[in-house]
Amino acid sequence: MSTGLEPRRQVGTAVETTEEELAELIGDRALSRDDHKNAPGFVIRPDEVQDVLFDLRDEAGFDHLSCLTAQEYEDRYESIYHLKKYADPTQEVSIVVPTTSDEPTSQSAEPVFRTADWHEREAFDLVGIDYEGHPDPRRILLPETWQGHPLSLGYNQTKPQVVSLTEHANPIQPDQKDAESDTMFLNIGPHHPATHGVLHIKAALDGETVVDVEPDVGYLHRCEEQMCQQGTYRHQIMPYPDRWDYVSAGLLNEWAYARVAEDLADLEVPEYAQVIRTMGAELCRIASHMLALGTFALDVYGDFTAIFQYAMRDREVVQDILEDLTGQRLMFNYFRLGGVAWDLPEPREEFFEKTRDFLDELPAKLAEYDDLITGNEIFQIRCVNTGILEPEVAKQYGCTGPVARGSGIDFDLRRDDPYGYYENLEWDVVTEDGCDNYSRVLVRMQEVEQSAKIIEQCLDLLEDWPEDDREIQSNVPRTLKPEADTETYRAVEGAKGELGIYIRSDGTDKPGRFKIRSPCFHNLSALEEMSEGEYIPDLIASLGSLDIVLGEVDR
Amino acid sequence: MSGASFVPVPLQQDDTVLLPERIADLTGLGGLGTAGELVAAFIAAFIVGNLMLAMTGVAGPWAKRKITAAFTDRIAVNRIGPFGLLIIVADAVRLLSKELIIPENVDRPAYDLAPIVVAGSAMLGFAVIPMGSGVHLADPEVGLAYVFAVSGIASIGLVMAGYSSSNKYSLIGGLRAVAQNIAYEIPLVVTGMSVVIFAGTLQLGEIVAVQAEPLISLGGFTIPQWYAFVNPFAFVLFMVANFAEIGRNPFDTPEAPTEIVAGYQTEYSSVYFVLIYLGEFLHIFLGGAIIATIFLGGPAGPGPAELGIVWFLVKIWAVFLLTQWLRSALPRVRIDQLIEIGWKGMLVLSFANLVLTALIVGMIAS
Amino acid sequence: MIGLLKSMATTMKHALDGNTFTVEYPETAPDVSPRFRGVHKFSQERCIWCRQCENVCPNDTIQIVTDDQRNGEQYNLHIGQCIYCRLCEEVCPVDAILLTQNFEFTADTKADFVYNKEQLKAVPWYKDIDPLESREPDRGAWIGEGEGAVDYQ
Repeated sequence: MSTGLEPRRQVGTAVETTEEELAELIGDRALSRDDHKNAPGFVIRPDEVQDVLFDLRDEAGFDHLSCLTAQEYEDRYESIYHLKKYADPTQEVSIVVPTTSDEPTSQSAEPVFRTADWHEREAFDLVGIDYEGHPDPRRILLPETWQGHPLSLGYNQTKPQVVSLTEHANPIQPDQKDAESDTMFLNIGPHHPATHGVLHIKAALDGETVVDVEPDVGYLHRCEEQMCQQGTYRHQIMPYPDRWDYVSAGLLNEWAYARVAEDLADLEVPEYAQVIRTMGAELCRIASHMLALGTFALDVYGDFTAIFQYAMRDREVVQDILEDLTGQRLMFNYFRLGGVAWDLPEPREEFFEKTRDFLDELPAKLAEYDDLITGNEIFQIRCVNTGILEPEVAKQYGCTGPVARGSGIDFDLRRDDPYGYYENLEWDVVTEDGCDNYSRVLVRMQEVEQSAKIIEQCLDLLEDWPEDDREIQSNVPRTLKPEADTETYRAVEGAKGELGIYIRSDGTDKPGRFKIRSPCFHNLSALEEMSEGEYIPDLIASLGSLDIVLGEVDR
Repeated sequence: MSGASFVPVPLQQDDTVLLPERIADLTGLGGLGTAGELVAAFIAAFIVGNLMLAMTGVAGPWAKRKITAAFTDRIAVNRIGPFGLLIIVADAVRLLSKELIIPENVDRPAYDLAPIVVAGSAMLGFAVIPMGSGVHLADPEVGLAYVFAVSGIASIGLVMAGYSSSNKYSLIGGLRAVAQNIAYEIPLVVTGMSVVIFAGTLQLGEIVAVQAEPLISLGGFTIPQWYAFVNPFAFVLFMVANFAEIGRNPFDTPEAPTEIVAGYQTEYSSVYFVLIYLGEFLHIFLGGAIIATIFLGGPAGPGPAELGIVWFLVKIWAVFLLTQWLRSALPRVRIDQLIEIGWKGMLVLSFANLVLTALIVGMIAS
Repeated sequence: MIGLLKSMATTMKHALDGNTFTVEYPETAPDVSPRFRGVHKFSQERCIWCRQCENVCPNDTIQIVTDDQRNGEQYNLHIGQCIYCRLCEEVCPVDAILLTQNFEFTADTKADFVYNKEQLKAVPWYKDIDPLESREPDRGAWIGEGEGAVDYQ
C-alpha cells in the first residue's frame, strides 16, 4: 500500500563514490577485500590507517566515522572503521585493519577523526588492541586497574575481579597543589544532581570558568555487548536494547537490533508491521524528547519545578498509549524479528481515539512550553550562545541526532537511509543553525511536532488497513543461524541520534561479535569542545542539552 | 550581665506602646525596676521569636510543599493530619533525630557557628519590625538602618559555612553568596533610602505611621499613602534586590542545586541543616516584613486596628508566595549575569531613583 | 519581560485550575492495560515440562527440575530477577505460564522473590483481567476448553 508520496529529498545529493573509485583511491594500500553486507570493505595495513582515512575523508568525502569495531579472531585482531558521509549515509565503506595476535598494534585514527579517541580507548579496554599515536591510551569503561580485556578470547570470564578504592587510581592524586596555580580541580559527579545518572566529570576551574573538562564514563557499564553475544538472535537479544537508552526510547532501540538482524538474516517485514513499528517508534521519540526537555529545564531552572512536572505529565500520556500497545511502560520488548509481537490492542477504535486525543492536545501543550521555556528572556540569556558546537567540530566527534541537527547538520537516518515506513510519509527534518543550547532545545521541540505528524499519518493508514491483510510477523524460523562470517553494520535514528549495531555471525544461533554504536557516547565526547572557557552553569546546561543517558553511553 | 548594670536603651520615641512595656505593665514586672523590664523584654522577645519560628515551621515543611505542588499539578502531603499539616511534626522529628555528620577536615568553630549566625541574624531583624496589634519589640530611631545591618550579617554566616566546610562546592557557594550580597545590598539600601526621603525618618514606627495618610480619595474610597503606590518603581527595584539578597529564584545562585549541589550548605546535616534552612526561611520572611513595613503600610488594613498583625502576616505570606511563584516559572540567571545585573543595572537604577525622589520631594517641600 | 510574565502566568494558571495528575496510591488503584506484564502465574496441570521457557529466558530466571523420567518436580522462578519480557509465555505451547497484570509484590529479602510452583500458582489475577484473552485472543480460543473462561488452575 502506498500513499503515493515520494521522499522529498533524493538520496545521493552528495557526490556518489562508486566502488571502483574507492578501490582506485585506496589503490595498492588495499591488501584485499573484505566486503560487509552493508558496505565494501578494504583490508589495509595497520601502519597506513591515517593515510587511508585522510584520503577517504578529504578526497572522497567520507566525513563520518560512524563506528569502530574491534574484535579478536583465533589468528588475529581486527579493527573495523565504519565510514559514512554526513551528506549521504547510504554511502558506506569499511576499512578493516588486521593486526597480529602477538603484537596487536595499529595506527591511531585520532588525527583524522576526533571521535576515534574514545572509540580506540574502548577498543583497547575491551578487546586489547593498542593504538599507536593515540593521545590518551587509557581504559575508558573499566577501572584503570582492571586486569585483562574482557572481550578478548583468552580472557577468563568467570574469575571475579575486585577493584578496591586503594588500588583504584585516585582522581585527585595528581593534585594541582602548586602554589602558583590559580585553578581548582572539581569532581562533578559521580554523585551530582545534574549528571543524569552516574557520570563523573573532571573539571578544572579558573574561578567560575571551566578551563578543562574530561568526562569519565563507565560507571554504568553492564556488558551489554557481551550479553547480546550470549543471547540467541531469535528471542533473547530483543529485550536488551530497551535497557540501553532506558528512558522510554525502547522501541527505537529495538528497531536498531531488528534492522540489523533482519538485514543479516534477510528477513522480510510485512508492511503493516512496518507502519505499527513506525508509529510506536515515534511515540517513543516524543516520550524521550519530553523527558529531555524536562530535564534540560531542570538543569537550567534548578529545581524539580513546574516544567519538569509538566513534561512528565505529558510523557505519561504517551507511556499509557505505549503500555496499551506493548504491555510495558519502559521495557517494551515489542518488536520481533520480522515484525512486532502483537497487533494493535482491541478494541482498535479505543486505541485510535486515545492516540488521536493525545495528538490533538499536543499543539496546545507545546504552545505552553513555548510560553514557559523558549519565550522566557532569562532562559534565552542562559541558553543562546552558550555551549557552542560548530558543525565541523560536531562532525569530527561523530555527533548525530538532535545535537547535530541543532548545529545545522542536515542528517537524519529516517530520511537519508530510509527504513520502516518513513519514506512513504510526509514529514520534515528539523535543523537549527544556532549551534547552541537553545537550538538543541528548539530542535527537540519541533521534532515532537514532526513525530506527531508521522503518528497521525500512521493512524490513518492503520485505520484503513484491510482486515485480512493485517500481517504482523513474517514467517521467521524458530532458530536463526545466519551464515558464518556474515558481517553487517546497520543504524537507525534513535532518540539521541544514530544508533548502530555491528554483528558478525559465526555460524551459531548467537552473534560472534555484537557492537553497539551509541549516539550518546559520541555526543558526550563533544562536551569538552562545548564547555571549555564557559562558566560552570553553562557546562551543566550543555551537558543537559546533549541529553545523554548513561545506560547508553556505558552500555 | 547583672540586672543592675543594664542600661536600658530608649526603646520608644513617642506615644506608641511597645510590647515589653505592655508586658511589664500587665504582669507587674515594671515595678521591679530595671531587672523587671529586662525580664519583660525577654518575654516579649520570646513571643515574637516564637511567632516567627512557628511561621517558618509551617512554611518550611508544609506550605512550601503545598504551594509547589499546586504549581506542578500534584497533590503533595495529605496523609498525616488535616491537609497533611502534621507532617510538620513528623518532619521536625525526622530532621532532629538524624545523625549530625561533621566531616573530618572542617574548620570547627566556624563550621558550628555558621548555622547560628545565619538563623540568628534574621531573628534579630524582627526586633524592630512593627507588626501591628501592639506586637513591636523596639522602635529605635535608626530602625531601618538596623534592619539592613543585621540582615547583612547573614552574608558572614554564609561565607563561614562555605569556607569552613572544606568542600569545593561549599566554597564556590559561599563566594557566590558574598559576591551576590555585596552587589545587591547597595541597591537595596539605596532604594530603601528613597523611602526615607519621603518619610523623613529612619524609625520604622514613624514610616508606618506616615503611610497611613491618604494618598488620594476616589468616591469615598481612600487609597492610603503606601510607598508601593507612591513610588512603584522603587517598590519593584526593592523587590528584585530583596530576592537577590535572600537568594531566591531567579537569583538562587549560591545554592544552585543543579550546578554546585547545595552551595554553602552541602556539608551540613541534621540540626545544623535545620538551622540553615530555618535561617533561609526567616530571611524570606524578614525580607517580606521589610517590604511590608516600608512599602505596604506595615500592619495597615481594613477593619479595626487589632487586626493589624493579621494584615501584617498576610503581607509577609504574599511575599513568600511570590518567591514560590517565581521559583516555579523563572530560570536561574548565571552568576556573571547576576553580578552584571546587580552592578550595571540595579545600582544605576537605584541611584537614579534616589536622585529623582530627592528632587521631587525637594520641589514639593519648597 | 513579556516572556517572564507569560511564564509566570502559565504556572499560575496551573496552580489555580486545581487539576492534579498524580493519584493517591493505593486508594486510587492505577488502571493497568490488559496487555501489561506482571508477576507470573504457573499451572502445573497444564505444564508438559518441555523446558522451552527455561531455554528462552534471556537471563536464566526460570529453573526447572525434573526426575530421570522427565516428570516435573520443581518449577522455580525468581520474580525479582525477571525482566518481564514475556518470552516464556510466548514460547509456551500449552499456556502453562502466563504473566498476570499483578505488579504489587513485596518481600523482605531477595531470596523471598524466588517463587516455587505453589507460590506461582497462588499469584492472584489483577482486577480479574484474563491476560491471554487480552493479549492473544486467537490463541486463547485455540487453547480454550469448551465454553466459558479458561481454567488455569
